[in-house]
Amino acid sequence: MEQVVSPLILYAATGVGALGVMLAMPKRRGGIAAIGGLLVAVAFGGLLLGMLALAGPVGEAPNLFFYVFAGLAIASGLRMITHPRPVYAALYFILTILSSSGLYVLLSAEFMAFALVIIYAGAILITYLFVIMLATQAPSEEDEERLSDYDAVANEPVMASIVGFAMLALLSTMLFTGAPDLERSPYLETPGATLASQPVKIERMLLDPLREVEGPDGSPIVGEDDEIATRETGAGRRAIVDVEARLVGVSPRGDDGVVDASAVRMVSVPDELWPDDVQGTNVEGLGLNLLGQHPMTIEIAGVILLMAMLGATVLARKQVDIEEALKARQARRLAGDAYSTVSSGEVEP
Amino acid sequence: MIDTALIVGQSGFPDPMGGLTLSHYLFVSAAMMAIGLIGFMSRRNLIIMFLCTELMFQGAGIALIAFSRYHLNYDGQTFVIFVLTIAAAEAAMALALVVLLFRRRESLSSEEWSELKG
Repeated sequence: MEQVVSPLILYAATGVGALGVMLAMPKRRGGIAAIGGLLVAVAFGGLLLGMLALAGPVGEAPNLFFYVFAGLAIASGLRMITHPRPVYAALYFILTILSSSGLYVLLSAEFMAFALVIIYAGAILITYLFVIMLATQAPSEEDEERLSDYDAVANEPVMASIVGFAMLALLSTMLFTGAPDLERSPYLETPGATLASQPVKIERMLLDPLREVEGPDGSPIVGEDDEIATRETGAGRRAIVDVEARLVGVSPRGDDGVVDASAVRMVSVPDELWPDDVQGTNVEGLGLNLLGQHPMTIEIAGVILLMAMLGATVLARKQVDIEEALKARQARRLAGDAYSTVSSGEVEP
Repeated sequence: MIDTALIVGQSGFPDPMGGLTLSHYLFVSAAMMAIGLIGFMSRRNLIIMFLCTELMFQGAGIALIAFSRYHLNYDGQTFVIFVLTIAAAEAAMALALVVLLFRRRESLSSEEWSELKG
């Protein structure tokens, strides 16, 4: 169990970060947001540098991309919550999304990285931008004056920063010092175990061709009742397969449909049946996992999306009776806008 | 013999963490969760508050993907798909509600609705 960042650095950095966010929160008067931003940058920069210095064994090259993407994601997230203008906040959130999709690529989740960009940055955030533009008064040249009060002044920034950074400090203390077994997964020590983690793929790719092959005594090597042999590990079911020796473990299916694990025998796959590329790609593995192990969840997700669509349509179509006073206020505001633009252009000397 | 055969596989994932540990990714995830929490508590604009919940979804997503990588299975990534689904549904409903509330009060302030009772 190795300590990644010393607790002293961690607590100091979270304290400085809380102070910085406190100062950077939007407020009307006496803005020292720049100092706050600097403090937050120092805090998170110190934490990331601490992780950089202490990560991995000595001599191992640090993964530069991780620090770039992580820093960008955190920095744009902070700017999102401290920027007084909603449109800018949404744009900074898009930057956060793009950075975290970079982190997904580093974690070899390519499909999810693209899905994140397309769904989040492409669809959800555009909807947010539309609503922000519909529901916000247009700013004029004098930016600060036209900001609505609820955008310009934060609500309880001190308490919020303290609570948020206390949570961060606790979570990271557990991550960095408390939690045991943060060594790498034993499967990483072997050159990839992706094929073993996809029994369905082996069944389709190796076992089905093998059913056609006859052994020396005329009977099929793999009978109709045989299934790919799997074994429950801590991280899910793994097929028993030896890629280098081209062996596949099969076992007869029991009466109740359960594979009998005690009767595993290793079958050698002939060279002509062995595919050129047995490597499991990310999309393939994800698709097999999604449809093979969570089919009911897809149905539920579909129903939820349908309900959300119907609900949003019904809600947004609803006619609202505005009170007379509010109507008058709106009319006055619109008239005032028209009057002020005319007057500022022509009447003033 | 089975035990050794179990762990021999085709090289699909290169050494991914590249000198990084699971803790590194989990720290980013925790930081995004904390930032979203601070924003949700301190901002008064309804739309920004919903954006902050999306930031917290992102933090959870990074943690799920990191654990999926750590354990070398796809359950975490599958779960992120459902998180995205729920986020999309939530965004649609929440924005419809925000538009409705804005039409009623001409304001996006969360304090306009402080008299709501359970």
